[in-house]
Order: sequence, then C-alpha cells, then structure tokens
Amino acid sequence: MSITTIHDVEFGAELPTFVPDTSLANTSQFAHAVGWGGGRFEDHERARKEGLPGALVPGIMGMGFLTSTIHNWCPAATIEHIDTVFRAPMLADDPCIIGAVVTDIDEDTGLVELDMTLKNSADETRVFGTARVKLPV
Amino acid sequence: MVDIEELKAQFLHRDFDTREFILEPGKMVTVAQACGEQQPEFTQPQHPDFQASPAFICSLASGRHLPIDFPSLGGIPMDGGKAITCHAPVKAGVNLVGKTHLHDIYDKKGRSGRMILIVARMEIYDDNNTHLATTDSHMVIRERSDT
Repeated sequence: MSITTIHDVEFGAELPTFVPDTSLANTSQFAHAVGWGGGRFEDHERARKEGLPGALVPGIMGMGFLTSTIHNWCPAATIEHIDTVFRAPMLADDPCIIGAVVTDIDEDTGLVELDMTLKNSADETRVFGTARVKLPV
Repeated sequence: MVDIEELKAQFLHRDFDTREFILEPGKMVTVAQACGEQQPEFTQPQHPDFQASPAFICSLASGRHLPIDFPSLGGIPMDGGKAITCHAPVKAGVNLVGKTHLHDIYDKKGRSGRMILIVARMEIYDDNNTHLATTDSHMVIRERSDT
C-alpha cells in the first residue's frame, strides 16, 4: 500500500522489506566517499589480515539502509530522529534484509515511531534501532 | 577501577573538538545511492531541496571522539552505534561547523567485566549559527582490570 499521509499508517503495520546492496563494490564505494577507505572496508583479504572475518560494511551504512527503507515506504516522510545500535559487524557480500514495524502513531502531529532491524543471511540481527518520522497530516 | 562520576564531572558537556566542513555534492550522492536512497532531494544535486542523507551527516562525526586528556581505560573504543536528530536540511557548499562534547558516560557490568559506554555528541551549525543536526556516537570500551 502506498503511504502518502499519516492517515494511511496503521499501528503494528510492517513496512515492505528492503534488501540493500551489500556487495563489496558498493560498500567500499560508500566507505571511500565518507573517507573510510582502507583494507577493512575495501578488501576481504586485507581485512582478514587485520583479524576480521572479512571486509566490513561500515556501521553508518546500516543506518543508511534503514533510512532508505523509510523513504521507500513513504517518500514524503521526513526523518526527525533515528537511533541505531551496531550489535555485531556486517560483512560485505553477505546479503541482509531490513524489516520495520510501526510502534506508535500520532495523527495530530503526523509523527510515527518505527522499530527497525537489519538481519544477515543467517537471520542474525546485526543492527537494530528506532526512528521517529514525520508524515504529512 | 575508574570512577564514572569523576569522569562525568570532569568531561561532560565541555566542547573538546571543533571542525569545519563544506559538503561535496558528488560524495553526498554516492553515499545516498549506495544505501538505496531514491528520493531526489538526496540523489539529485539540482533538486531545490538537495541535502545530505542522515548517514552522510553521521559520517562527519568520525575522527577524534574523546578529549585529548581523557584517561586510557584499557581497551580500544568500539563503535556501538550512531543516532541523529535532524533539525534542518544540511546542504552542500555551505560552511558548516561541528562542535563535539561528551554527552554521557555510564557503565554496564557483566560476567566478563565492566564496559564503559561513552556518548560523544556533535552539534552541527551553518554559518548563520543555525543548529542543523545533532549526532551521537556511542563508544563501548571494555575496561582493563588494572585501570
């Protein structure tokens, strides 16, 4: 269902799942753009030499995946606040999926609260968080 | 063992780092698109409301997260998470200032010892001193037993 205003939102509704691009090519492009170039984000072999299980997805990229999930659900949504917990590292080239659920709605102000999770291919939660977004009233 | 209350009294709410930024549209677009963002205000520099995505704004907070005189607690700080509160769009080509202070220090005790959790808060302003965004960087340090 297309979400355009606060009145389209239902308590407990799940947002459409989002499968972001976690390929090494994409995550290293992100890392480079934010000035975090280096083996741990750009090269599996070099990351392993640092004692890591492989090249990592930058933690804030996980936040970026969550905010894209929100905008894909409701293009008119404005993110007022998002809080993410990096529970465990995400590895590049390991697919992940994002889920979110509506936990609170204020129809007067247009504010919606969301609980969000990012899980890897083993169904392990790597990043979770909450967001407060404002929708047109 | 470090006294958390002493650390709080000595270090909280004291700006210890000020940095200036001018955001480049190309990098803002790269970051937004890599995250799967499709909204034109994040992906098209010619859009009248073109602005940095929340993840890009949080990336500005990388770098020095602790005051230079903050005591060593033993372990290397791990990135425990990030948060952002957006007050107004953060735009490209504008002179920005990020001022960082420690917002909170607390501990959690577990079977493997004590973890110290530190929240470094950066407040981002434009050149009119308008407060645009606040980012929180959560650091987790496993305390060494001899500190």
